[in-house]
Amino acid sequence: MTDINEENLLYLMLAPPENIHALNIAVVKKILERGCTPLIITVNQPYKVLTKIYAKEGFDSTNFYVIDTVTQYSGGVCEENPRVRYINNPANLTDLGIAISEALKQMPEKKKCIMFDSVSMLLIHIPSVTASKFFHFVVNKLKLSEVSGIFLCVEKGLDPVILSQMTSFVDKIVDFKPEVPGN
Amino acid sequence: MSCKNEAPGDNAGILSEDHDSPFKAVFDRIQTGIIIIDPVTHKIADANPIAEKILGFSKSELINRICHGHVCPAKEGTCPVTDLGTSIVNEERVFLNKTGEKVAILKTVATVMLNKKEYLVESFVDVSDRKIADDRKVALIGFMNESVLRIRRPLELTKMNMQLIADHVKTGEFEPEEIRMELQIQANNITQMIKNLDDLVRMVAEERGGEIPKELRDFLLGK
Repeated sequence: MTDINEENLLYLMLAPPENIHALNIAVVKKILERGCTPLIITVNQPYKVLTKIYAKEGFDSTNFYVIDTVTQYSGGVCEENPRVRYINNPANLTDLGIAISEALKQMPEKKKCIMFDSVSMLLIHIPSVTASKFFHFVVNKLKLSEVSGIFLCVEKGLDPVILSQMTSFVDKIVDFKPEVPGN
Repeated sequence: MSCKNEAPGDNAGILSEDHDSPFKAVFDRIQTGIIIIDPVTHKIADANPIAEKILGFSKSELINRICHGHVCPAKEGTCPVTDLGTSIVNEERVFLNKTGEKVAILKTVATVMLNKKEYLVESFVDVSDRKIADDRKVALIGFMNESVLRIRRPLELTKMNMQLIADHVKTGEFEPEEIRMELQIQANNITQMIKNLDDLVRMVAEERGGEIPKELRDFLLGK
């Protein structure tokens, strides 16, 4: 996988649908290896499930923060945890924007990195144009706060116009190729 | 509007005297708009009935009218043919009609000698309807593209998520409530995708209303 070693850069990482989950794990692993604290924005898996998946990979839940947009959406119970913020619905971009701002302020760590999983799943809930405006807002916030950002997306999962806009927002676009064991 | 008429009789058109000419008969009956322009003065010297229809001016209103800024949107001194030296062959251009509306046309400009004097012959067909159809087609492609992005890719992800949930069940490491939440998220997402698809069908049915038979349109709109 491409190294995410440069400071405060914004990446759009693309993978085929079958590799998106592996990409999520690989990115979190890389962020933690760099001594950076990830803020994971999940529009796909509830916090409780995510922590179990991460625990299996050896990621300690005290090493990352989460904004969970799907636990309430699924009718689940939102357990209080200072490292987790819950949003009632992935389409609630206003609350999501506020949660990102507050979480970044709350995180005491110097090196922080946002990971958004995933742009493609968000498109179920909002049109491409709205998604593009929202990501522009998030990217500006990250640049002002000098925080890195990684947006996961299914390859060929963006409108060409939106992709070109995203290309102008981010610093790098990376095609994810999973590591084949033994190679 | 500059419409400087010359002496009486001058606005009858340069071809109007040749009543018996076969060219005059073709000029009057051809289903293409034709206007003849003096390249020096830029005044319209003649116009056929289809040109009158497309532009919305009568022949007497057109003759001796300066072409630029009126029937042609180019400003004085920027005539694409006489000032800029460009050739126009079957190019999409715009005319201004009597009410100032832009009319999309496919235009060709040629030089001819009439009565030992050089003129520009502008022949054109109205392509407004085709242009509207093209714009609608582009909009429709946009809708289709958006549907692929908001339905097909998320469906592929949903399929992968369902596989992942199946794996979670198999491991026995996840509690029933966690599995329920995961399944509920996928169910809600599929509901949203169906809604997106319905919205798309409705938008297409409304956009292309006139082209879809009423019964099918009512069915698509859920009436």
